[in-house]
Amino acid sequence: MLDVFRTLNISASGLTAQRARLDVIASNIANAETTRSDEGGPYRRKTVVFREVYESAIHDAGYRNVRAQTDAMRGVEIAAIEADKRPFRWIYDPSHPDANEEGYVQMPNVNVLREMVDLINAQRSYEANVTALNATKSFVNAALQIGKGG
Amino acid sequence: MAGLYNTNFTTLPLAMDVASLRNEVYAHNIANAETPGYKRREVSFEDSFKKALAGDELRLKTSRVRHIPNYPVSLDGVEPDLTRIKNTVITNDGNNVDIDKEMAALSANTLRYQTLTRLMDLNIVRYNIVLKGTR
Repeated sequence: MLDVFRTLNISASGLTAQRARLDVIASNIANAETTRSDEGGPYRRKTVVFREVYESAIHDAGYRNVRAQTDAMRGVEIAAIEADKRPFRWIYDPSHPDANEEGYVQMPNVNVLREMVDLINAQRSYEANVTALNATKSFVNAALQIGKGG
Repeated sequence: MAGLYNTNFTTLPLAMDVASLRNEVYAHNIANAETPGYKRREVSFEDSFKKALAGDELRLKTSRVRHIPNYPVSLDGVEPDLTRIKNTVITNDGNNVDIDKEMAALSANTLRYQTLTRLMDLNIVRYNIVLKGTR
């Protein structure tokens, strides 16, 4: 029974990670034209970095034991939210308050089209984790039917 | 298991156990479908299970009538195995989780588990019929 809750937690970790990714994508799209940020200069695109959560201590304690190995699997987490190092875009707009002497403005390195693609990916991954969660739920329901004579 | 209970009480829980183990591994693979460098894990079991049931490897030869056979085979040593598939790559970041394959395997495994619970249920029902006489 504990296994089931562990599995639910694995899927939940996937949901949390994908939701955080959606937040970052939303922030990127919202700031696609932001020319002023806390770090100075325009907004820099952010990306999430995923990392597998694997409890090596549990794995090492039960080496060659399948149950210990699966026990060590804890899903996924956000390792870091990194800034995209790629250069900013320059656009010509002399009327912009942040334009330089030549009339050029530094714009964020956000490509909205790419963000939309990422958004769809994140959504699909989120749904995949929901499906896994529902599969685990149906396991419990099926097990509870044993002995009922249905 | 001897006596009152048939072998279904040994084999079905074992198969169900493996199915739920698999479910966990699939959930973990799906959660890490976009983790850079993650290599998918896989539970292998059916082969060793089949061998144990058929007794291909574990059964001792009996050439005389009075030889004591070592079957029905015990399933004590039959354990699922967890392996990491490291020799394939799907994406540039070194991840090898094929999300479609994983989802299909997840559904198939769920159906398998539901079938196993149904079999277990019907197995118990049979005992109930015997115990109650008629139903």
